[in-house]
Amino acid sequence: MEELPSITVSQREQFLVENDVFGMYSYFDTSDIATQKFMVEIQRDKQLDYLMNGLRQLGPSFSSLDANRPWVCYWIIHSIALLGESVDDDLENNAIDFLGRCQGSDGGYGGGPGQLPHLATSYAAVNTLVTLGGEKAFSSINREQMACFLRRMKDTNGGFRMHNMGEIDVRACYTAISIASILNIVDDELTRGLGDYILSCQTYEGGIGGEPGSEAHGGYTYCGLATMILINEVDRLNLDSLMNWVVHRQGVEMGFQGRTNKLVDGCYTFWQAAPCVLLQRFFSSQDMAPHGSSSHMSQGTDEDHEEHAHDEDDLEDSDEDDSDEDSDEDSGNGHQVHHTSTYIDRRIQPVFDSLGLQRYVLLCSKVADGGFRDKLRKPRDFYHTCYCLSGLSVAQHAFSKDEDTPPLTRDILGGYANHLEPVHLLHNVVMDRYNEAIEFFHREA
Amino acid sequence: MHGRPRKAYKPEEEAASAAKAAKLRGLQSQFMANHHNKIYTKEAVDLSTKLLEINPEAYTAWNYRKLAVEDKLSRIESDPDLVKTILDEELRVVESALKQNFKSYGAWHHRKWVLSKGHSSVGNELRLLDQFQKLDTRNFHAWNYRRFVVELTKRSEQDELEYTDDMIGSDFSNYSAWHNRSVLLSSLLARKADGFLPNKKIPDEYKLVQNAIFTDEDDQSGWFYHLWLLDQTVNVETPLLTSSWPSHGSRISLYAGCSNGSFSKLTTFGSESGSFPLVLYFDQAVGGVSSSTVTIDSELKGNEDLVWEPVSKKNSQVSCVWVARLKYISSEPCFGKEYKVKVRVGNSPGIVSSRGFNFSASYEFVFTAHVHDTVEESSQEGIVSWTDGFDIWDAESKDLNALATLDRSNAQMDSKWRQEAIAEEIDLFRELPDSKIGKLTLARLLMAKAMISDDAVKGVHYNEILELYKDLMALDSSHYQYYKDEHSVALLRKVTSSTEDLSGHLFRCRNMNNSVCLRLNNLSLSRIASVEKLLFVQMLDLSHNELHSTEGLEAMQLLSCLNLSRNRIRSFSALDSLRHLKQLRVLDVSHNHIGEHSVDTTRYLCSSPLSNSEWPQDEVGSQMPSLATKYWDAYFVLRDLNLKQLDITGNVIAGDEFSSFVLQVVPKLVWLDGKKLEI
Repeated sequence: MEELPSITVSQREQFLVENDVFGMYSYFDTSDIATQKFMVEIQRDKQLDYLMNGLRQLGPSFSSLDANRPWVCYWIIHSIALLGESVDDDLENNAIDFLGRCQGSDGGYGGGPGQLPHLATSYAAVNTLVTLGGEKAFSSINREQMACFLRRMKDTNGGFRMHNMGEIDVRACYTAISIASILNIVDDELTRGLGDYILSCQTYEGGIGGEPGSEAHGGYTYCGLATMILINEVDRLNLDSLMNWVVHRQGVEMGFQGRTNKLVDGCYTFWQAAPCVLLQRFFSSQDMAPHGSSSHMSQGTDEDHEEHAHDEDDLEDSDEDDSDEDSDEDSGNGHQVHHTSTYIDRRIQPVFDSLGLQRYVLLCSKVADGGFRDKLRKPRDFYHTCYCLSGLSVAQHAFSKDEDTPPLTRDILGGYANHLEPVHLLHNVVMDRYNEAIEFFHREA
Repeated sequence: MHGRPRKAYKPEEEAASAAKAAKLRGLQSQFMANHHNKIYTKEAVDLSTKLLEINPEAYTAWNYRKLAVEDKLSRIESDPDLVKTILDEELRVVESALKQNFKSYGAWHHRKWVLSKGHSSVGNELRLLDQFQKLDTRNFHAWNYRRFVVELTKRSEQDELEYTDDMIGSDFSNYSAWHNRSVLLSSLLARKADGFLPNKKIPDEYKLVQNAIFTDEDDQSGWFYHLWLLDQTVNVETPLLTSSWPSHGSRISLYAGCSNGSFSKLTTFGSESGSFPLVLYFDQAVGGVSSSTVTIDSELKGNEDLVWEPVSKKNSQVSCVWVARLKYISSEPCFGKEYKVKVRVGNSPGIVSSRGFNFSASYEFVFTAHVHDTVEESSQEGIVSWTDGFDIWDAESKDLNALATLDRSNAQMDSKWRQEAIAEEIDLFRELPDSKIGKLTLARLLMAKAMISDDAVKGVHYNEILELYKDLMALDSSHYQYYKDEHSVALLRKVTSSTEDLSGHLFRCRNMNNSVCLRLNNLSLSRIASVEKLLFVQMLDLSHNELHSTEGLEAMQLLSCLNLSRNRIRSFSALDSLRHLKQLRVLDVSHNHIGEHSVDTTRYLCSSPLSNSEWPQDEVGSQMPSLATKYWDAYFVLRDLNLKQLDITGNVIAGDEFSSFVLQVVPKLVWLDGKKLEI
């Protein structure tokens, strides 16, 4: 290879994006406080308008134009749930009814009524129904048939196929196991050889590619990691290099890129930040013991621990990242701040720049009129809205050691007005809805 | 659908789009009817073509076409021309669908399906790929498909490597091309293809990537490739035995029961069970360690069929650490004698790394076991103090050499070119102006160099590495914890790199049979490393650090006393690895963060019906179901330990209720929080 050109296409594009992003940041930095406050505000009402409108535009009977209607349902309904709202009864019934028509007679959900059942759309459908919540939504899922469908999609190489005669990849593995885990239908047959398949997709960089030999990619890394955690084999991955790969996907723009040397994109806010938090929690609590723990068991202990008086001794060796813990600024916004020291010990320093990430999402991905986008100059869409909001929620809660601990005001760019519901990191559904669903499906078993 | 921008429609466009939607809806319902009625006429198939050309993501239509093709093929008398016509039409449809959306999973997959029917002309496929790869050089579908075509048509990897030359030459930021290069080279190097010997090829690759890195150091692509090269330079595929306990040439002193003897130069070891652990530590996880792959030659009776167990989490059958228990008290009295024990690792093939490489060179080591006849009755069980009764290690003595062979040089490794390559890189990166990635790469290079170089220069490298990580922590606070962990690893490597360094941290505990005590307190460690060099340690003081977990300590099978006071342990689950330490009697976890919040791991580690079987139906579990439920994480760890002394004070979980729970779970406990228990 002789001479290398002085500037490549990727570099020019990168330069242009940086220019846009830093232009936005410097405008923000030089604005007065009131403007700044406005700029970082999530604009709940605008967001809800955009989302509700989208839901209605799906048509009264949710016509089945393309091959991913359940995804559109999930993107919108999950986004609404993240904002702490829910849809009205009509829309809810409509959605349950529509998804029911996507459900195949042999199990699984297709991209629309009559279409072949497909793992990705099944995942979207199940997550939508979990997010809607309630007996009617839950019981509309045919668990037994779903288990049969998942078994049919299982390949002898350990992985899963997206649909009958379809492609095998890490997405398929994740969606299958996420569904099985929520519906409480995981068994040996589904997990057999799966860990080996995912392992074969981890690259030397540390991230995970879509299939063996592929380049590491944010979306697949999330899918692969979540799958390995769900089947309890996460320690087989090279977690050191995975951590290294994922933290370095956050660039100077403060957003995440999806692959090495690609442009920043708002949707990776979720795909990359969630693995960061999952890995950090894994490293810091070494979850080996709790075989057999179920969510019910430890639920009872939560309150008990809160009541424990705080031990004086712990104040001295509290984490040094909390040394800036001066009196809690801005506690007058309705959020109850209990004993501050309880927070100190329930807090960690995230392995990525959480506030920087929130800044990128709110200043560059947010569209003032509602919705979120990949980056400045790009149009908004429901996919990016869903994953920007999900990622924003992950970033807001990244300072807490667990989902029980509400974030401090200073963890949330824009303060509590921007607070989003915490999500279950392995399924990306809002925590409360997850708990309700898990209880239902464990009762079912 | 990820990342595919959807256009925002302007009002005037909406009418057109509505018309289009209506048309599509018509097509779709017509298609569905055909599909469900299995109609494969020309008109019906043409209709699916139209649908796919508009919406390539309609995967149901791709499946319909597969069925239609199968149907057609079954009707013709395998006339090669007809077959070709049918399959060509499929390729044409895929191509035009890809022009509509070249990220369509269904379209690419359909093309693979057609090719695997045996219809292929390489030239065509590569030409098509060229087109798409020029349009979007990072399209991973296209790259995946390229690898598929190459494999199917057995195109040479050398040719493909040349293709990456071209791609990188025209755009060195194209990481996908770098990635493919690493995949191809891995394969070529592994099978030692002509002209692809690591000692020749890897230095060439360093030169290539330097070109990219130094042209623009902010471009990430080259850095990652560089990291891969470093891996290739350092890693040896064949698994090696890193260390063992007892080590080669060492002498150990064995007792029945506990003893108060004083043998300063030896490891004294007593156990009620009359056996001692034999520990093998490999440089990578291996499986297949058994009494046939590892043989023991000694006069100690009853050790013919040793049971080897992997020391690993869960039930994995591969591990870096393997342990067997050697009996030294058999029915025949054999006290007061010295025994030579010869261990042969890799006696017969069967030890295989998790990546599938064989432990090839068999390795033999010999140690001497002195078995004493002083059977003392269980002596009065005093409290173990971490402050009094310690003797400083005599740095001049050769004691340490008798305990552990600290450095097993990887003699069989052809290390010259590796050292040269790394040294050259280090020189180069020292010149690179300060950048985060430059510092990080330099730290990694130095770490690699320290691993394969002589003792004498190691210390210097470690000091430089520690400085680099300190700089990085200050420079790049968003990745603070990552650098912090790396800093801890480097620090522990430094401490264990030489006899001088290590003996500064070693002590003898007079009250504990002169047990070897290692103090690594107050070093702000956030992570444990280098345990392979510490297998002989019996008492370990890690107090006043920043540890979150005990992972790694499971290899230290001789450990009987462990001090973790004032760390950042948050739950008993974080102590899980201690369950492997059968000798552990004294544990201090005072002043940690245990119990400050619920340890509901199901929040991200979902319970599955698979794992429910273990939940307790044993004694304590059924006697005190509510406490066992409340303290399940403590329960799972403590019930497997054999503790005599536990300190838990200064944790939120501590209190009367927890104490009474502990007494139930650990009935043999004598000291709790410094107080003797009334029995």
